[in-house]
Amino acid sequence: MTRTSTHSLTVAAPGILWSRDRQGSGWANNRMKTLAKYAAALAALAFALAPIYWLITISIKREIDQFASPPLWFSFTPTLVHYTAIFTHEAFGRYFLNSIVVSTCSTLIALTLGLPAAYGLARFPWPHDWSRSISFWILSNRMLPPIVTIIPLFLMLRQVHLLNSLVGLILVDVALNLPFVVWMMRGFVEELPREIEEAAMLDGESRVGVLLRFVLPLVRPGLAATAVFCLIVAWNEFLFALILSQTESAMTLPVGIAAHVTQYEIQWGAMSAAGVVAMLPVLIFAAAAQRYFVRGLSLGALKG
Amino acid sequence: MTRRIPPGLIWVAPALFVLAALSIYPLLYLIKVSLTDSHGITLANYARLFQDRLFSVAAGQTLLYAAFALAFEFFLGLGLALLIDSLVHGRALIRVGLLAPMLLPPVVAAVIWRLIYNPEFGVLNGMLRQLGINTANLTWTSGRSSAMLSVILVDVWEWTPFLFLLLTAGLQAIPAEPLEAARVDGAGYWQTLRDVILPLLKPVILLALLLRSMDLLRIFDQIFLLTQGGPGSATETVSLYIYRTAFRFSNFGYAAAMSFVGLVITMLAARGLMRLMRV
Repeated sequence: MTRTSTHSLTVAAPGILWSRDRQGSGWANNRMKTLAKYAAALAALAFALAPIYWLITISIKREIDQFASPPLWFSFTPTLVHYTAIFTHEAFGRYFLNSIVVSTCSTLIALTLGLPAAYGLARFPWPHDWSRSISFWILSNRMLPPIVTIIPLFLMLRQVHLLNSLVGLILVDVALNLPFVVWMMRGFVEELPREIEEAAMLDGESRVGVLLRFVLPLVRPGLAATAVFCLIVAWNEFLFALILSQTESAMTLPVGIAAHVTQYEIQWGAMSAAGVVAMLPVLIFAAAAQRYFVRGLSLGALKG
Repeated sequence: MTRRIPPGLIWVAPALFVLAALSIYPLLYLIKVSLTDSHGITLANYARLFQDRLFSVAAGQTLLYAAFALAFEFFLGLGLALLIDSLVHGRALIRVGLLAPMLLPPVVAAVIWRLIYNPEFGVLNGMLRQLGINTANLTWTSGRSSAMLSVILVDVWEWTPFLFLLLTAGLQAIPAEPLEAARVDGAGYWQTLRDVILPLLKPVILLALLLRSMDLLRIFDQIFLLTQGGPGSATETVSLYIYRTAFRFSNFGYAAAMSFVGLVITMLAARGLMRLMRV
């Protein structure tokens, strides 16, 4: 009696399936399969990373090694001359500084405008589904192709003499990031329990006080992740900067690099050193916000 | 009466005002520019669109670019998402490595691929020569017939990670029960994939295709930085043509008309895809 019940239990357990797979030829077959899978994964990884590795090596190679044939992947004498060259080049420092100013200012402004809006949409009573409609309208701004908005923005900014100034570019980057901030932060605020805020308001705390003293500390990780994404978008942004900042003094790093790429095609050392400098902050920031990748990069649309 | 204004509006108003000033107003301004010339109101810019062979070439090439890049990126992204998901060790690390290309500034990606594609000194032809292949005719981005394929390959390198990321997230959100049930019923891997995993993944797949195709149809950065639309007009796309018309030839009226028509077409395409998503 006990024997049969034990027997039927083992049949039902999934472990039995496993051990059958591991017997005889099935086992060797599985091992080959696992090996093939890892080989494919490593090949994909190599395809993704080898180009980046190549950029880094070119940036620390002497010219003679850069153009060596066959290509030198590992054995060369590293040098930092290209880095000292770009950092002593006056314009490059300017581009770098402009990029920092534009991305930090636009991010701060977008957060300052976006957080209250997100809080308002998440926590206030709205008639019908206004909250949803407003959120979707805000998000739809993000879907406008830059090439469509840049023409009128260029003409408008030209009229008010804000071309080739960082102010114009900051404004445009705010508009680029704001929908994203509202959408992300609305999600983060909605995840908080309402009870604390309601209790605080019963104690006479104002709405502004609730936002600053209770909501802000709790959404800080989300806010930081959102800020990181805004910084990356503004730092990488190319088309607006290309058109709105055409003078040396107003150029951002991507536009500066692009200008030199076409001018001195053959200066590979300086070009790739500048590329590495432009790439590093992004990779560092991204590593910091890794946990929020999916939500950030899909605009939270996966959550619906 | 005052109660009819929702109290939350004051919190949202500043953001709405900024967005309206920097997107609705420019959009109206765009339409106005497209409908006027030095003499007054005109439809000439729109009429010209239908006779402009350069525009139809650019439009055709944009569609070609988008279709090929989307197909490659989707199947590669899906395959990789399924593959990495089935590994036992090192999944997290491999995923992070695979995502790197899409985070780079587009200008850095362009610099990298210039170093790779350069026919004389590039590493790609260097490696091919090492294998004993004659590279005299392999000119990549500077060849008339190979330029399009070369820029598509860069797009695949840069943006397959995006589809991989979304599809991985979708896979991880699939509940364990249906997979367990399929295994108990004795379904093999391919059968489970076809009958259980893909149907459950469908909403994420459609979303990923929607987001990526919107970006592909407006493609500018990579092509501008790698080939400037050339050689000749071999890699010319709509965005590049609009850019040149407005900012090289200062023909803002015609550029505005083109971008408005382009916008309407993309919106309709998006709407179509969204409708598909509901099904």
